[in-house]
Order: sequence, then C-alpha cells, then structure tokens
Amino acid sequence: MHERLSFFVKRDSALHHLNPLTKIVLALSIILVSIFSPWYWTSHGLLLVVIVPLVFIGKVANEYFTSALRLILPAAGFIFFMQAFFQPIGQTVIFNFWFLDITQESLLFAFRIATRITVMISAFTLFLLTTHPSELMSDLTRRGLPPQFAYVIISTLQILPQMQAKAQTIIAAQRSRGLDTESTFFKRIGSVVPLVSPLVFGSLVEVEERAIAIEARGFTSKKAKTSLYEISDRSSDKFIRWGLVILVIISIVLKLWLS
Amino acid sequence: MFEKIKKDFTTMTWVLIPVAIAINIAIGQIVVLLKLPVFLDSIGTVLVGIVAGPWAGALTGALSNTIWGLFNPDSLPWWPVAFFIGLVAGLCANAGLFKNWWKVILSGFLIALTAAIVSTPISVYLYGGITASGSSFITAYLLQTGQGVLSAVLSTGFLVEPVDKITTAMLAFVIVQGLSKRLVARFPRPENAEVESGNNTTQIIIALVVVVVVVALGFVVRNMLAG
Amino acid sequence: MAFINLNNVTYKYPLTKTPALQNINLQVNEGEFVAIVGPNGAGKSTLCYTLAGFVPHFFKGEISGTVEVAGMDSSKSTLDEWVLNVGLAFQNPFNQISGAKYTVFEEIAFGLENTGVPRNEMKPRVEEAMKLTDISNLADRSPYSLSGGQQQRVALTSILVMRPKLLVLDEPTSQMDPIGTREVFGVIRKMAEGGMTVVMVEHKMEWIANFADRVVALKDGQVLMEGKPNEVLTSELLAENGFGVSRYTSTTREAKKQGLWKKENLPVTLDEAVEGFKK
Repeated sequence: MHERLSFFVKRDSALHHLNPLTKIVLALSIILVSIFSPWYWTSHGLLLVVIVPLVFIGKVANEYFTSALRLILPAAGFIFFMQAFFQPIGQTVIFNFWFLDITQESLLFAFRIATRITVMISAFTLFLLTTHPSELMSDLTRRGLPPQFAYVIISTLQILPQMQAKAQTIIAAQRSRGLDTESTFFKRIGSVVPLVSPLVFGSLVEVEERAIAIEARGFTSKKAKTSLYEISDRSSDKFIRWGLVILVIISIVLKLWLS
Repeated sequence: MFEKIKKDFTTMTWVLIPVAIAINIAIGQIVVLLKLPVFLDSIGTVLVGIVAGPWAGALTGALSNTIWGLFNPDSLPWWPVAFFIGLVAGLCANAGLFKNWWKVILSGFLIALTAAIVSTPISVYLYGGITASGSSFITAYLLQTGQGVLSAVLSTGFLVEPVDKITTAMLAFVIVQGLSKRLVARFPRPENAEVESGNNTTQIIIALVVVVVVVALGFVVRNMLAG
Repeated sequence: MAFINLNNVTYKYPLTKTPALQNINLQVNEGEFVAIVGPNGAGKSTLCYTLAGFVPHFFKGEISGTVEVAGMDSSKSTLDEWVLNVGLAFQNPFNQISGAKYTVFEEIAFGLENTGVPRNEMKPRVEEAMKLTDISNLADRSPYSLSGGQQQRVALTSILVMRPKLLVLDEPTSQMDPIGTREVFGVIRKMAEGGMTVVMVEHKMEWIANFADRVVALKDGQVLMEGKPNEVLTSELLAENGFGVSRYTSTTREAKKQGLWKKENLPVTLDEAVEGFKK
C-alpha cells in the first residue's frame, strides 16, 4: 500500500519539469473534454493520441501500464460489464440472460463509459506519477491555497499507510483469536467494534500532542510563509494552461450547441 | 459568517482531519474485508462534523474521496456526496442532534437522504445509472421493470443509504462518547457532544427497534427482488 | 529583571477540580540551564506548557498570577507570537513529527517556513542545526522511518533551528541510549552557554548533576525545593517525598549510615561516588 500512495516516480522528463499547476490543468482538461465532447470517439481518441504519448514523454510507461493493469482495467472492465448487462437501451438484442438483454446499443454505450472512466483515471494517474506531492503543495500554497490544506493532504498521505498497516495487524490478531467473518450480519457488525476501536481511539488521542507540536513550530503564525523549494513556472507553462482552458471551453460550447 | 467558520478551523481541527480521513479509509477497507453489506466509509467525516462543525466535516468528506481516489479511482467522482455528508452531519450536530440515541438515528436518516439525493445526478450523468457499486443490481432491476433512470437511481439510494448512514452516525456517536471529555473539550465544538440526560436504556431500545425495522425492510426488499 | 518570571501562578485544567500548579514562583536568568524534577503528576509537564504558552492559550482553563518570559506577559500575548520566543519539545517523538513533510530536512525547515524565514537563510540554518545535533546523515530519510531516539533528535533540532530565546524540554532524551543522551545534554549545555535559556524536565539525575545550573523539585503542583543540583538531588526531603534518586545517591546514603561514606555531601554521579570512596 505504501508505494501506491507515493505514486511519484523520480525521472528527468519534460513532463516532470512542467509546473505542477500546469499538470493539474492538463489532467482536468483531458477529463472535462472527455466528459463534454459531443462525439462518440473522443474518449478513445484522447486515450490513444494524448495519454499514451504523454506517458512515454513522461518516461513513466512501465509504471503507468502496471497501474493500468492493476487499477484501471479492473475498474473499467467492471463498469463495462455492468453497463452492457444492465442498460435497458437499444433494440438489437445480441445476447439474452434471465431478465437481462445485451444489445448492440448497450454494448456501444458500455464501451464509451468504460473508456471515459479509463481516460479519467489515466489522466489522474499520469499527473500523480510525474508530480511530487510536496512540490504540488508548495506551488499551490504559493498561489494562495491556505497552507493548512497542504498540511492536511500531505499529512493524510503519510498517516494513511501507517493506519492501514495497523489495521492489517489488528485484523491478523483478531483472526488468530477466532474472529468470525462468515456469520450473520449482526454478529459481524458486532465484530467490527473490537477491531476498530483500538485503531480509532489510538489515532484520535495523538491529535492533541501533534497539534501542540506544530503550533510550537509556528503553524498558526501570521507571518507570510516561505518555502524551502523554489518551483519553476515558465512562460511556456502559462501558455499551455491557457491553451487547455480554451480547449475545454470549446468542447463545452460544442456540447451545448449540438445537443 | 466567515469569521464564524474560521473559528471551527483550529489547529486541533487541521490535525484531526487527516486522522479522520485515515479512519474513513481504514474502516472502509476493514468492512470490505468482513464482507459487510454496508460501506461505513464516512465515520471520520461525521466525527469531524460533530466536534468541529459542518464546514470542517464537509472538507473532510471531499478530501477523503479525493485521496481515496489515489488507490480506488472510482471514488473520485463521488466527492460531492461526501462533502454533503460532512456538511449535514455538522448541521445536525449544531442543531443538537448528536446528543442521544434516537436523535443520532434521525441524523443518520437525514444524512442518508442527502447522500441519496446528491449521488443521483452523478450516477445518472456519469454512469448512466449503473455504477461500480453492488447496489446497482437494484437499480438495474428497477430499470428493467421500466422505471426511468432518475427514479430508479433515486429509489435505490433511498433503499440502500439509511442502513449505512444510520450505522455510521451511531458508530461516530459511540466514538465521540468514548473519547475523554478532556480531549473533546480541545475541539471547537465540544458542546455538540454533550449527552442529554434521559433514560438511556429506553433510548437504546427505541434506537435498536428503528434499526431492526430499517434492516428488516432492507432484507424484505432484497428478498422481493431476488424472488 | 529575571528572564523568566513566574509570579504566584496557579492553574486548573478545564473540567478538573484540583489545580495542576499552585502558587508557583520561579525566576530564571538568561542563559541559565534549569532542570525540573518530580514524581508523576507533580505538574512538570504543565509547568512546561505554561512556559511555552500552551497553558492557558491552548488548554484553556483558569490561570492566576503572572507568567513573563523575555519581558513579554503571557496573558497579553497570543500563542503564535509566544512561540517565536519560546521553543517546546516533549517526550513522545512520534507525535512531534509534523506529518507535513517527506524528509527530515524538510521536517526541520517546517518551522522556518511557517515563520517566514527567507529561503536563502533557511538552508544554511537547517544544515547548521542538523550538524549540531549530529543528524546530517538523516537529511533525506523519512521522519517516520527513524528510531525513537533519532526522532527525538529531529524533534529537538526542529525547535533549535527556530533559535528560540527560551528552550523548554519535557524529557527530550527518554528514548535515547546513554551515548545519545550525553551528546544531547552536551548540545543543550552549549546552547545555554551561547545565551539560550533552558528549562528541562528530566528523570536522569546523573545527567542533571553534570549539566544543569539549578534544579527545581516539584510536588503536587508546588515547588518543594530549589537550588544547586547536588544540594537538591541528594537532599533527604526528595527521598522522603518519593522522588527518583540516583542509584549512587541511594547507595552512599546507606553507606553513610554504616559509616562507610566519610564525606559530608552525597554524590549523584558515578564519578563523584568513586572519588568519594577513594578518600
């Protein structure tokens, strides 16, 4: 779980050198265009013509395709099947099972939705693979994001793997004491409590001391905060960002106009 | 208004939020492991709503889904639902609805309604009503019976959410009551967690009856669907 | 006027009946290294929190009397102003990791970022502080991957780098081995000689005897006794009141009863004991 949370891969690539905000705008633009574009093949096109080349430009092909196999494909595949089976649209029945019909239309719809989901997750993954969380947060803080937000996000990313490790330990311990995960609903609800309480109470009790510790280090200081790292934001970054924003606006206008 | 909101965001709140998000995710995963038919992935969010007010709760919810999205990308689009869960939990707490068992159940019910309503447009627009969640089987059935997408999704939400959100509200209440008063007093809204004196056993009995009825209803519906 | 000036301070935490501090009077001069000793529940940590501004600003509760540090009155300042002058490090190192940073270097710079130290000044200050506490080799490690003792050094360094005028330490070496403890005490002594005022709660009596200028013994929220380390740490009063005593002190106390210890004063450290028995 730990490596998954720090997705970032340190490489020397054009994508890595982009300003973090530019990369967020890039990911969001891809997602928004994929949602709003009125044409059926837009998402498929985005995946093949934009995302895959970017993955190679960013030198994160290995990592991207691994996570595509592990995360994206199962999610998209599941959605594809759910949609194909359950969308009650279309007349051209290809396959019938119980009360469920698979039609040509539902297949096409499923393909579109699944690809859209793939595009959304891929854009996000690409962004995470090429951006270090602290760099992102320093940059956003510099641009006016309250520093407390940066604290919350990075702190969560660090606490979570520890909490999950503790959860694993607790589950293992409870199992060895004969915890039953197979019985009735109420018994299992009852079994959640001894599992969860040490985890929850332990972590909540730590809150007070951590608050004291960061307060002692000027967390609520009213002085203008500075940052250890300088983050580059070139004019090319600004140019790319505005270009992307215009693209998104065009696709929304097209959608409204054509529908 | 802004000054009031600011008061809820003390250092204690900022430090609590990451812990609450981690609680959401860790409990959510344990529940999956135990194969429970609920999510229970917003206990931390409700907890923050109680001790630090609606906006802190809302922020916890939204960030929770965003961060969970890192390793479960499907949760990402649902952040507005989590946002409103935290907001409504906080509003309920401010209105004194986290002070005894039957009020907690009412809060859970209100949170559930909110969740059902907010998730509907996301489900319909983004997924055509059929999401990656197991409850989509109900939606699919309703769709096949000829219901419109909107009403099918909304009905599914109303069927599924109450069990989950009432359990969530009750667990969050139990956790807050289990914390030392000294610790609760450090948060911005300790008064939200003060238990009303009253006949505790009666309250628990009322609460349990309501939960049993809701759960039973859920099972009846499920059996109807299966049969 | 003294650098620290506690005048008749009485404090009660919220929701409690008995005061945690009662009529505390304490004066400490600039550059002095004062150790606080006392049994559990004596109010040592509360005293630390009071000096560091967290009592009453963070904990609320009722306080009376005056708390002055570096000419500032605690009741007339806010916590964020107070921490610019007073640094606090406490026992549990894990809870002192901010969580906001991925490396030790960034962790130590956290306080400087928060208080607006310019970037070009930040790096040399962090490097210097890490050198002082001998953790330069940990710069790129994750603070979570360190041992308890290493984390305590990081916690101390994170405060030292902010260059407080008063350093308040609540058992900062509890998870360190004797070598580590000696090093850290050495660093703190050096800071005191450089003009930083130090107030430190500590159980390790031998180290206090070696390094501190003065000892204050607390019991039930009150000052029981204060004075030179050897006077206080070897006094009967402490032993009678359930204070931890150095094993060399307790051994020689027995020896003295049996006429084996000829000197007037009892020792606190091994060296003093050896020296005394030789004569």
